[in-house]
Amino acid sequence: MDRTLANFIRALRNSDVRISTAETLDAFNAVELVGYRDRAFLKRSLSLVLPKTEQEKETFDTCFDQYFKFTDVKGERKAANDESEEGDEQGEGQGGGDGQGGEAQGNNRGQSGAPSGKKGKGSNYLIEEEVEEDLGPGALAEAQSPLGQLLMQNSKVELSVQMSAAGEAVDVRDIQVFTQKGLFTRRIMEEMGLNDLNREISDAREARAIPQRRLGQELRRRRDWLREQVRDYVERQFLLHADSTGKRLREDLLRKVKLSNIEHRSFRLIQEIVFRMAKRLASLHSRRKKVFKRGALNISRTLRHNMSYDGVIFDLHWKSVKIDRPKVFAICDVSGSVANYARFMLMFLYSLEEVMPKVRSFAFSSDLAEVTELFERNKLEDAISKTLRDYAGGSTDYGQALEDFKRTCLDQVDNRTTIIILGDARNNYGDAKQEILKEMYDRCKRLIWLNPEPRNSWNVGDAEMRKYGPYCHQVDECNSLMHLERIVGNLLRVVN
Amino acid sequence: MDALKANFEKHNYICSDQIATAVYLSFHLSKPILIEGPPGVGKTELAKTAAAMFELPLIRLQCYEGLDESKAIYEWKYGKQLLYTQVLKETLDEVLQGAKGFTESVRRLHEFGDIFFSEEFLEPRPLLKALKEPNGCVLLIDEVDKSDHEFESLLLEMLSDYQVSIPEIGTVKAKTKPPMVFLTSNNTREISDALKRRCLHLYIPFPDVELEQRIIHARVPEIPPELRRQLVAFIHELRDLDLKKVPAISETIDWARTLLLLHTESLDPQLVRDTLNVILKFQDDIENVDAEISTITSKVLKG
Repeated sequence: MDRTLANFIRALRNSDVRISTAETLDAFNAVELVGYRDRAFLKRSLSLVLPKTEQEKETFDTCFDQYFKFTDVKGERKAANDESEEGDEQGEGQGGGDGQGGEAQGNNRGQSGAPSGKKGKGSNYLIEEEVEEDLGPGALAEAQSPLGQLLMQNSKVELSVQMSAAGEAVDVRDIQVFTQKGLFTRRIMEEMGLNDLNREISDAREARAIPQRRLGQELRRRRDWLREQVRDYVERQFLLHADSTGKRLREDLLRKVKLSNIEHRSFRLIQEIVFRMAKRLASLHSRRKKVFKRGALNISRTLRHNMSYDGVIFDLHWKSVKIDRPKVFAICDVSGSVANYARFMLMFLYSLEEVMPKVRSFAFSSDLAEVTELFERNKLEDAISKTLRDYAGGSTDYGQALEDFKRTCLDQVDNRTTIIILGDARNNYGDAKQEILKEMYDRCKRLIWLNPEPRNSWNVGDAEMRKYGPYCHQVDECNSLMHLERIVGNLLRVVN
Repeated sequence: MDALKANFEKHNYICSDQIATAVYLSFHLSKPILIEGPPGVGKTELAKTAAAMFELPLIRLQCYEGLDESKAIYEWKYGKQLLYTQVLKETLDEVLQGAKGFTESVRRLHEFGDIFFSEEFLEPRPLLKALKEPNGCVLLIDEVDKSDHEFESLLLEMLSDYQVSIPEIGTVKAKTKPPMVFLTSNNTREISDALKRRCLHLYIPFPDVELEQRIIHARVPEIPPELRRQLVAFIHELRDLDLKKVPAISETIDWARTLLLLHTESLDPQLVRDTLNVILKFQDDIENVDAEISTITSKVLKG
């Protein structure tokens, strides 16, 4: 059973719930205390020990339901099986003619007694049923192979234990893609002794004695039921283990791919990645010292602390003064070619709210406008799409944008301000007005230009990087999430 | 489990299975519980009730920015130390017994040990006090998210081993039974992983209609059942709206008391409008809701 829990924790980790070794130990202690008997109780207990945020709790809920489904299904199945067994008996009581009826019900047992069981099973059963001869009721011969015996004993618990063991043996947890499902089902069945069983079935079918042949039919029925079970089991293992492996692969890819090439359907995933990256950066940078050695003397505290020195004041304590936070101005070109980059950078900046100083953002394609308020009032995604909708039209005019910036808020730029400009500097051969950029450069603490184009095309065609470049403290190429993460990380170091 | 729930109910605290499980596990595994959830769902109340239920003293530490060890764990009684040194100055000669020279005096002084840094001169603060309770206690560390990161790290030793280290004295361990520790957080910032790792994590969401009705029944038993149903339904409607601050359980209780005071039989729009400031705490919210009041009220009245 310990193994079960360990695997469950592994599955949880696969779904991005962070669980440390200490927490694993706690989980074991908790399970020892509450036991496996009461499923709801177990779930509540584990949900206290393992997941530690609201989102993680949600993930935990789905994971738990998926993982510990087996016990439940087993119970249902058992009930269903009992029913169908009764059906069998009835059929037998009514004589040979009803053999087929019993058969149909027998087939149901793999499907929790669902009424549509027979239809759902597909055509191969129909064919087999045709072949099957009507043997009528009567005694069954003893099954010989171990698996056959198990099946005939109908001991579900034993079977499920064997199934898990076989699963372990063939490393079903390493399943990677869904096409492997058939393969693993087969392997598990073989591990459990399918070959012996098959041999016995075919032997029994060819045998003379009616009880033998009846056993053959029964065994085959139960074998098919078992196969369903194993397939279910593999399916669940796949969902638990492989799904996230695939996801991880995709995420790794997304981190490196050029942002403009990202398809729309990946946006959600990207956003998740961005949040996760942002969280990591946030926790990295939130550990800065709070007490500054300046400001007003904290008299009471100083006196208290210096009492131990006979009241001689030599260990001074200051009132911790928070210097007002530095500012970040993000100016984003949102015209068609760069819009996607702007989207992700804004996403990044605003996900860092906790550690990032106040961000004011501006968007332009020709005219520049402040969109800070949009972000304050709306949810992040809405704000971004609204920004893009409202400002993305029009041809790019950097000169005009700089002019607008100068007019509206150049005087608010001071020596604690960091300005980030995101754009490809393609000005449609208009007036670059780099002298405004110089003014900004002189006033601010740091001016960073992020250009999504590769460095060698920065000065090709209508790109004006040559004119703007000298007035930036830092010019960077930025076109993937990895670039973004690095730049924002550096930015945090600079501004705080 | 059911006994635990029934016990909580006896103390007028209606809890869900999840909460009962948390207390049960915390008690048996001796692990602290970190409680998160929106404000006013009874996080602090849970700790208080648990203390009453186990008949243990409750020691409460309210966190705030700038809270440090001298306020949370211990402090030396500097005044007393000073006073004693002044008084003892006279007797210094006796103590030294006419010792000659510096080395000898110091040696003699050493024989007395560090009396000034012994437990008599120690002012225990909540955390230390909790450890020293002879029969165990319930320690409530309230709004841990308001404190600084440094303070969180300070808590770690306490939470994992139920001990604190005082350099001058050594390590103080929990006397007999470790205290039951409840930490609450309003999620104004992320609590560090290290802290979370040491705790059970309980998230208390807003209760469903049925549970909230029972809570109101427990807290304001005088209120007629029909009105109770109406007001709980009304609050739940409000929670679905887009508000700055949604009304919590504590507000529902306040509202129930208010309505009781006004001898209300049934909700009507005018009444709701007049008492809205009990449940909504922002002018913006009140204005936003104002237009919807009649619709919601009639919907609620219909049941």
